[in-house]
Amino acid sequence: MSGQSQRLNVVPTVTMLGVVKARLIGATRGHALLKKKSDALTVQFRAILKKIVATKESMGEAMRASSFSLAEAKYVAGDGVRHVVLQSVRSASLRVRSHQENVAGVKLPKFSHFVDPAGGASGGPSGASPSLTGLARGGQQVSACRTAHVKAIEVLVELASLQTSFLTLDEAIKTTNRRVNALENVVKPRLENTITYIKGELDELEREDFFRLKKIQGYKRREIERQMIEAKKFAEEQLAEDLALKRGISMGAATNILVGGGDKDDDIIF
Amino acid sequence: MAGRANIPANSSALIAIIADEDTVTGFLMAGVGNVDLRKKTNYLLVDNKTTVKQIEDAFKEFTAREDIAIVLISQYIANMIRFLVDSYNKPIPAILEIPSKDHPYDPANDSVLSRVKYLFSADSVASDRR
Amino acid sequence: MYSWEMLSFNIHDGFLEAIVRGNRSGLLTAADYNNLCQCETLDDIKMHLSATEYGPYLQNEPSPLHTTTIVEKCTLKLVDEYKHMLCQANEPLSTFLQYITYGHMIDNVVLIVTGTLHERDVNELLEKCHPLGMFDSIASLAVAQNMRELYRLVLVDTPLAPYFSECITSEDLDDMNIEIMRNTLYKAYLEDFYKFCAKLGGATADIMCNLLSFEADRRAVNITINSIGTELTRDDRRKLFSNFGLLFPYGHEELAVCEDVDQVRGVMEKYPPYQSIFAKISYGESQMLDKAFYEEEVRRLCLSFEQQFHYAVFFAYMRLREQEIRNLMWISECVAQNQKNRVHDSVVFIF
Repeated sequence: MSGQSQRLNVVPTVTMLGVVKARLIGATRGHALLKKKSDALTVQFRAILKKIVATKESMGEAMRASSFSLAEAKYVAGDGVRHVVLQSVRSASLRVRSHQENVAGVKLPKFSHFVDPAGGASGGPSGASPSLTGLARGGQQVSACRTAHVKAIEVLVELASLQTSFLTLDEAIKTTNRRVNALENVVKPRLENTITYIKGELDELEREDFFRLKKIQGYKRREIERQMIEAKKFAEEQLAEDLALKRGISMGAATNILVGGGDKDDDIIF
Repeated sequence: MAGRANIPANSSALIAIIADEDTVTGFLMAGVGNVDLRKKTNYLLVDNKTTVKQIEDAFKEFTAREDIAIVLISQYIANMIRFLVDSYNKPIPAILEIPSKDHPYDPANDSVLSRVKYLFSADSVASDRR
Repeated sequence: MYSWEMLSFNIHDGFLEAIVRGNRSGLLTAADYNNLCQCETLDDIKMHLSATEYGPYLQNEPSPLHTTTIVEKCTLKLVDEYKHMLCQANEPLSTFLQYITYGHMIDNVVLIVTGTLHERDVNELLEKCHPLGMFDSIASLAVAQNMRELYRLVLVDTPLAPYFSECITSEDLDDMNIEIMRNTLYKAYLEDFYKFCAKLGGATADIMCNLLSFEADRRAVNITINSIGTELTRDDRRKLFSNFGLLFPYGHEELAVCEDVDQVRGVMEKYPPYQSIFAKISYGESQMLDKAFYEEEVRRLCLSFEQQFHYAVFFAYMRLREQEIRNLMWISECVAQNQKNRVHDSVVFIF
């Protein structure tokens, strides 16, 4: 893994080791928490998935029913009814309201539809009060059609909130998982690597110290030995000199005098 | 996170529709339609004279408007501007592909449903994947 | 009286009656409907229709057919036939033929007024008007802002002008008023048509008055049922009923106070011709009422072909064609929406 070769750029000291270790503990805890969050989200996510599939199917049903009821209305009330409807739009009486729901720290938008009484007064066919569209013929089919479509809207609004939740959760799960993975695969190994690195480095320092001590020790011993030998030699020389002094003249000097005196020294008096 | 910031706490929002005449008529009957002072409608009636450009513009306009929470779009129309629908990824307004009576609903084409299906079948693998 | 009519009828109207009877044989039969009901796609329907009189109108349509296209083309055929007949017609048949279209004209006027009220584009609105209800100055309807202007500027030149006298009192135009206006106009139209037919006399008066009475009664019942639970007051309701027909006047009084469908049923069962219609429907169910009425209407319209030398055949023919177009629309909707088990629910066989 790419993370293994990486480590933080730190000075390998004992203090740093403590800091990094603390960070590793933090990362592990964070990882566990995020993992839990991700699990919670996934549970929610799966529930939503199931619901979406179910709602999609019921949407097909509702849409079929509503478009068929429109056909019925058109059959009875004449084709012209749709123009009347199209022309008399003013302001929406059926609106949606959005609010948030909190799932494991992720805010999910939820829609709910409601009938706006202000909009209901205008706009011909409205949900608030049955209008007079198709009074002479097909009024019932028109209102049946309206009810069918309101039902379809109900399903669609539910589906919309599910779908939005789906997208938001998907995004949230991805982010969370990315974080989990980042912690697991990058941050934690890096911290661990740093710890091993620091530990190794500290060990090495220790070994170096030891070796140096050893070396110094050896050097010192050698020096002492050398000094000892020197001292011995000196002592021996001392001894020899002592001996010669004891004989009155040093042997060297004696020979020198003898050799020198015999060759060149002519003003010798005795 | 994309979804977090832009969920408006709006108390009332509209439902926009891009569909064929009958579907639009039906939903307008239900009281969804809205025409504001500048005569901007929250629905687009698509017939054989409507160009793809118009649909694209309407789609962009509806998805950019603040007072629209849900955009309903007939699936066969969504197929005409599939690239736009697929590239759209904001949670609000939510895009819903609805069946129209002339064109039976095809779940394979629904961008969201196909993802749902994919995740559903890959559910057991998903936990390993993550 | 009948003998006199037989003597002179063919001088002016014999040709057209022959034509309309010829056209009548072009109406789809039960066998055609059975074939159409078997269709799997709209293209199949087109194929079946190409063997009928609708063939030339549908043959050039590109393949992804829509229900609306089929209905449009079929309506076009009806309009063509109507125009042909109108061109050939003499007085008073031409007036009679024009009377038939006033219903559509009222719908168009109301549509334009509604559109104007919501400030829609006039050309867009004109496209949506029913072709049978077009008149020359219809585009200028859009300039009117209130009822008085509407009347003064435009409608005074149209045949609808007299009908407006009743609803001209309401100054402001809103959605509620428009729907009431539509029905007031229609009421006035029916009454006028009734008077016109009565004036023509003979078999025409006989049969047309019968048909129009049925129409008026049906409207009364429908208005009653549809206005249950709305803001429409009893007096307003009463005002929308036409002043003729089998239910007039005592039935209307009773209908005006009805509060639910079963009360309506109670009222209607006192009238033998409608007893059979209500007998078909189970208690508390009103959805099938429209179909029952349509069936009864078709039965009556068909009967009008049994007599000769009268104008009601033209009315009957137009109405039957309209019913046929409705049937076609229903069948193609069912086919398009894959609801074939419902096909037979609303198709009214003409023959």
